[in-house]
Amino acid sequence: MGKWLDERLALSRMYKKFFRKMFPVHHSFFLGEITMFSFVILVLTGIFLSINFEPSIRMVQVGAKQLPAAYASVQFIDSLPFGLVIRSMHHWAASVFIAAAFLHMIRILLTGAYKKPREINWLIGLALLSFAVVAAFTGYSLPFDAFSATATKVGYEIASSIPIIGSWIAQLFFGGTFPTEHSIPRLTAIHMVWLPLVIGALIGAHVLIMFLQKHTQPKYAEKVAPNKILGVPFWPQQALIMGVLFAVMVAVLALVGGLFNANPIEHFGPPGPATPNVKPDWYFLWLYGFLKMIPSAWHFTVFGVFVGPEFIGVLIPTVLILFGFAFPLLQPSEHKLRYIELPSEHPVRTATVIGVLTFFIAATIGAYKEDLGLTTGLLWLLVIGGPLVVGAIAYGLLRAIYPASARESAGPGSDATPGD
Amino acid sequence: MPNDDERTASPQGDPEGNGDAVIVEPTEADERENLIQRRRFLQASVGVTVALTVTGLSALTVTGSLRPIAKITPQQEPPADGDVLVYADDQKRLVQASDLQTNTKQTLCYPKDPKSGVVKSGTDNNLIMLTRFDPTQLGPDTAPHAAQGVVGYSAVCTHLCCTVSDWDAKNGWMLCPCHHSQFDPRADGKVMGGPAPRPLPLIPLKMTGGQLAVAGGFMTSVGCS
Repeated sequence: MGKWLDERLALSRMYKKFFRKMFPVHHSFFLGEITMFSFVILVLTGIFLSINFEPSIRMVQVGAKQLPAAYASVQFIDSLPFGLVIRSMHHWAASVFIAAAFLHMIRILLTGAYKKPREINWLIGLALLSFAVVAAFTGYSLPFDAFSATATKVGYEIASSIPIIGSWIAQLFFGGTFPTEHSIPRLTAIHMVWLPLVIGALIGAHVLIMFLQKHTQPKYAEKVAPNKILGVPFWPQQALIMGVLFAVMVAVLALVGGLFNANPIEHFGPPGPATPNVKPDWYFLWLYGFLKMIPSAWHFTVFGVFVGPEFIGVLIPTVLILFGFAFPLLQPSEHKLRYIELPSEHPVRTATVIGVLTFFIAATIGAYKEDLGLTTGLLWLLVIGGPLVVGAIAYGLLRAIYPASARESAGPGSDATPGD
Repeated sequence: MPNDDERTASPQGDPEGNGDAVIVEPTEADERENLIQRRRFLQASVGVTVALTVTGLSALTVTGSLRPIAKITPQQEPPADGDVLVYADDQKRLVQASDLQTNTKQTLCYPKDPKSGVVKSGTDNNLIMLTRFDPTQLGPDTAPHAAQGVVGYSAVCTHLCCTVSDWDAKNGWMLCPCHHSQFDPRADGKVMGGPAPRPLPLIPLKMTGGQLAVAGGFMTSVGCS
């Protein structure tokens, strides 16, 4: 049987070429795999949800009530065996995807793995994280309960606050002035067909490029086996670890989904005239906090085009993403990076990353402005001063703990071996 | 083109080096061949241009159609002079000024055309909120538009279009649950805190035959950004 297949599919060549790929052994290298597995879980749970969901806001009769069809179909999903658990798993897997992708990005940043020759994969990775957040947002809208309608409405209005082109773009993606009868079908197509296809294709490209370029090697590999690739082969060792990891993720997400039900639509009810008092999911809190902090006076009109405080909600993430895209291009290098750089060897970069993280945390605190009784002034101090102070302290500590002399004697490993 | 190059280049590349310029007269057949090629090129260019224009225009039409045409139904008509008000969550019930307590949370309602009986609840932009105060508490800009101390505002937050449905009992302000913009209903819907860039649009109210009614459209444009 094996021989028969091999003669036709050249399996042994594939085995030699792909199945012997070496995976470096370090726990932080699993973050990318966790992201990929949460995508697989999202697709699997998403198949179940998609075949039971009705993308429409037309009113249907359910018992004595008139409910939007989308809302009623989510009620139906929740009533199926394990329906609510699967819907919750889908919700939590999206959170895991975004969290793991973000941490994976931080790992790449701290170890310099975005440098030549891996700039393309850095860009693909950033695009993946951005698309994942958009996918999460479009997923919000689908149950069409009071919470989801509010969150989507806010997203629509943020998009349409872009000067000149904003209202056109927003109407294109949301099917007119949200909510119209076109909105949910269009957001459904984006969420269930086009974004998964794009994200799937980008994950494929990301993994393929990683395969072609090989992983960065951990520092110890340089001492143990210089100029050789060190790690465990994909088959069977790494594949076993991956299988176990995937099984553990499914188990944990099922447990969490069973214990903590996501988006209880009946708690919020179908959309009504009043707005429920809600906060978005954790990955939007920093932006939400920022929207609250912008003073009312920050608006002006240029050539009859109104630029208001809500536009900041588009501006900040755009600037951050563009800065992220430009990051490897700002640090051109002649050599190909082969071994990871230790965060301690690059105090400026490490301190900058810590500063950016502080910014996200400070803006997230802004989301709890009223609950914590903070003033706008204090929040601005936190958001601007916090990253600067924490970054400076991190830099100082890094310089003190790892003096420059120690870094130099650490050897040439930080900058790669020429050639590769 | 390669033919032309050869002809002009050959004198310089003359292997004998005697400098004699050899000019090859194009034969009649060459001329005809050139003409045919030129004609073909022209035909191809015209074809490609037409095809691209048709495709481009079609693509533009398709893209344009992705933005649905906004249809205004009678339910979406803006409030007009003489409209009465019905409760947003019980659209069969008329709002009476006497139903409203002073200094309490705002009441959400929709305008209703008394002649046609149409409740204008087809768009959030028609959502009106009412609060009632002692008329002496109202500011000079607000008082003339109030009826028996009842003031009406658009319920659409000027920040990101959420419904301003919460009430700040301590200050007597209307509070948007989305990003905590606060508005003073006594003072023309002035922004008292939060990110909203403009005051809430006021809607003038009146009493007609003991019934609370709208005395005209919103005084500034409704909506956000």
